[in-house]
Amino acid sequence: MYYKVSGVTGKLTGATAASAYSPQGLKGTVPSQAPPIIFAVPTKVVSETGSVAHYMGINKVPELQMIFQKTDGAPVHLKRGVMDKMLYRTMMGLTIGGTLYCLMALYIVAQPRKPQ
Amino acid sequence: MAHQAHAYHMVDPSPWPLTGAIAALLMTSGLAIWFHFHSTMLMTLGLVLTLLTMYQWWRDIIREGTFQGHHTPPVQKGLRYGMILFITSEVFFFLGFFWAFYHSSLAPTPELGGCWPPTGIIPLDPFEVPLLNTAVLLASGVTVTWAHHSIMEGERKQTIQSLALTILLGFYFTALQAMEYYEAPFTIADGVYGSTFFVATGFHGLHVIIGSTFLAVCLLRQIQYHFTSEHHFGFEAAAWYWHFVDVVWLFLYVSIYWWGS
Repeated sequence: MYYKVSGVTGKLTGATAASAYSPQGLKGTVPSQAPPIIFAVPTKVVSETGSVAHYMGINKVPELQMIFQKTDGAPVHLKRGVMDKMLYRTMMGLTIGGTLYCLMALYIVAQPRKPQ
Repeated sequence: MAHQAHAYHMVDPSPWPLTGAIAALLMTSGLAIWFHFHSTMLMTLGLVLTLLTMYQWWRDIIREGTFQGHHTPPVQKGLRYGMILFITSEVFFFLGFFWAFYHSSLAPTPELGGCWPPTGIIPLDPFEVPLLNTAVLLASGVTVTWAHHSIMEGERKQTIQSLALTILLGFYFTALQAMEYYEAPFTIADGVYGSTFFVATGFHGLHVIIGSTFLAVCLLRQIQYHFTSEHHFGFEAAAWYWHFVDVVWLFLYVSIYWWGS
């Protein structure tokens, strides 16, 4: 017997194994198939064993989980390698450059204007 | 690899708080430079840095939660408290503008003609576009709840469809409001009526845009299989924010559009 919290009443109710825990993307393996109907020409049976119907793309989360859990000591903002590093360096460049530009601009505008 | 003996999340050192602070500095001083010296370079740079900081900060949170598994139940509880407190602070933000509206409208001064709406102001008909806007936001509240139940039941297709519908309704609201702003017979410069109307509804509109963006990010994450039927706090936070936006609109509609007309 499996249990789930009912979406309607908020109470614990009985459930089938499938609905008790079915994170989307990890649904069933072998869908039940009716035996092929024999006509004069046998119908072609498309095997769906092991494949899940993909709606809008496949699940890449397990793969990403492996990448991000590599014990390479990299902090999370650099974990993906080169792309992260480039973006970080660009950001830091803009930040430091921007700070200097800002301080300079403020210094200049803080100077009293020459009396006319 | 060192293992922690507790369920909490000690985050990796991150540069984004610093870049965020600098971005705020650049935006504010850039604003002053723009006002007085007509150059938008500093402000634009600040804006770009703010957007990049937000993108990377929240990307890292997704990495830490979804990919590294750091969002254990105690951590999630903390995130929930955080979101609730943030929304509460936003409630107080709007409270101020409602205070301003009621201060001016409950006791209209002689300069306004001693009446509300003030003399010369033609208010918008509350039973035209504003009522449609109310229906649109209420409907979006229904669709976002539908999306939540779909996530909890593991219904991928329904979640994507209902979430997309919610976002579309949000855009429809924004488009309708933009049209109303353009067609309105009064402007922000039309005394205290104009000020209270456009500042309150304007900030609300900004929050609708922010909420729609948050939901759009959730939609992308949903498509990429980030949410499970048990753990989808990012979506819940977006849904809470969206309901908050809806409630603020209801108060705006009743106070400013309806009572104030």
